[in-house]
Amino acid sequence: MQELNIYKPIRAKLIKIIDESPLIKTFVLVPEVEFSFKTGQFIEVTVENVGEAPFTPSSSPLETKQLEITVMKAGYVTDAMHKMEVGQYMGIRGPYGRGYPLEAFYDKEVLIVGGGCGFAPIRSLLYNLKAISDKLRKVTLCYGSKTPGDCIYKPYITELRETPKFEVYRSVDKTDESWQEKVGVVTVLLDEIEIDVANSVTVVCGPPIMMKFATKKLLEMGYPEDKIYLSMEKNMSCGVGKCGHCAMGHYFVCKDGPVFTYDQIKNSPNIWM
Amino acid sequence: MKVYRVTEKKWTEYVAEILKEFKVFAPVKKENSTDFEEITVEKIGSIYYEGTTPSTPLKAFFFPVKENVVATEQKQARVILGVSNCDLAALDLLDNIYLGGDFMDHCYKENRDHTIIFGKDCDDLKETCHCTSYGLTPYCEKNCDISMSVSDGYCYLSPLSEKGETFLGQFKINDNEVFDCLPEKVIQKRTAMAANLQSQNINIPDEKASRKGIEKENKELWKRHASTCVSCGACSMICPTCHCFLLIDLKDFEKVKNWDACQFAGFSRVAAGEDPLMKLYDRLKFRYLCKFVYKPDMFNALACTGCGRCIDACIGKINKNEVIVEACGQG
Repeated sequence: MQELNIYKPIRAKLIKIIDESPLIKTFVLVPEVEFSFKTGQFIEVTVENVGEAPFTPSSSPLETKQLEITVMKAGYVTDAMHKMEVGQYMGIRGPYGRGYPLEAFYDKEVLIVGGGCGFAPIRSLLYNLKAISDKLRKVTLCYGSKTPGDCIYKPYITELRETPKFEVYRSVDKTDESWQEKVGVVTVLLDEIEIDVANSVTVVCGPPIMMKFATKKLLEMGYPEDKIYLSMEKNMSCGVGKCGHCAMGHYFVCKDGPVFTYDQIKNSPNIWM
Repeated sequence: MKVYRVTEKKWTEYVAEILKEFKVFAPVKKENSTDFEEITVEKIGSIYYEGTTPSTPLKAFFFPVKENVVATEQKQARVILGVSNCDLAALDLLDNIYLGGDFMDHCYKENRDHTIIFGKDCDDLKETCHCTSYGLTPYCEKNCDISMSVSDGYCYLSPLSEKGETFLGQFKINDNEVFDCLPEKVIQKRTAMAANLQSQNINIPDEKASRKGIEKENKELWKRHASTCVSCGACSMICPTCHCFLLIDLKDFEKVKNWDACQFAGFSRVAAGEDPLMKLYDRLKFRYLCKFVYKPDMFNALACTGCGRCIDACIGKINKNEVIVEACGQG
């Protein structure tokens, strides 16, 4: 049990801002105190005098000097973040929640289905999977976004495509002349890939509607309910199971998640909202 | 069990002594209710032990309406007198949430640690009191430091915790006559009050039956009852077990913990706009599911202690017990 003040953030200096898309930026932060997390865990990020919101770091959990969060401009906290400049400070608390159980992925193929800004936690996971790739059979990423301009982490995609054991498939809902890959919602990619379902696990992270249809498709493909790992998003305030905001049936997403298997939560109300 | 007997007159002298070292809060009679107030020497005579549950739930002492959780102040030791068992029973859940799990809420802990709680016997009941429906008693046997029963000009004080025992020693209250059980008269009064509550609430389902009724789909019922809800959140604010809050951010990374309620619009809304509790009737049903299904399963504690405050406070006249009776009765 942690005895410290659980609500007090540590200061983290913003040292770099990367424009990923018109609405998405990645912020590189250097915490004043050493800070580490496990992939899939989240942190609470404070913009002083504005508010606080939960984000799963998008950087490698093996990197402890700095961390990255990838943020879509979607509400008052993220709007304020997008106005921040290098040199300013954010506050961070955490890490919180239960991340991806990497040991359960050993000796298996890992199929990752992501959409939009849901690529952020997935990138952290991919960094970690690369580090343990000798224990994995194969990693397949299926990533969908609305338009080619909304695709994030472009240099990282190039790097990943050159990584042994990693395969990358992308789709966009609406195309333009620059796009050479698949057109359609992300589930169309699942018809293309070759995967040994019986010897694989799958991870889904993205907007709720995408997660709903991806899960449906994965079940049709034969994935058992306890092999589908979902990163759930809910309104959160405290992040530590006290404030009640992220209640989802019998769970608090912050302390019991944010990563759940589908069989854990399939009977909880409103999981896709 | 030790029971110290003190005359009511002498007890007021003890309170005056206690006031020299502690802040003291106790129920005071208002026009149509009783409520906790800070007691001064002049106000000792207005402490009202006989009334029903004070309007403010006990939780407000440990989980204040607003509290800066980063720049915390030094807490002052305090004594709370006249706490009903429906409020004390709520501590099972609150302690579990705030003190349990991987992270402890230090503010709640400090507030708890700095407080001596005197439980009381309920000598009166409101129309909406129904603690016995959920297996509770209108007197206290745990969750307080000292239980106090007032009868025939005497106060009977029983220490129920080590802290309570030490406190009685500190003020030499333990120099008084001591018995090994409560007098028959107090026990009879307790039994009579429990029987009154049971007969008043004969039609109210217990927590297990309530759960079954609430778990039914029954959209029409929730829609109908929610039709008079104005989303004011009074039911949550006044509830001894409701624990939800929102952290508000200030300068210098300070944060203020403010009471929040699942009945407010936007409580569950995420930045992108999705909101599982957007509809009022979904919020109303969620409140009942939280109390009778989720919290008992997650924390093995009652999340409704039958204090009746939510019924008293509802300006939409939603009677929790009527809702549950109806929910249980329908197929």
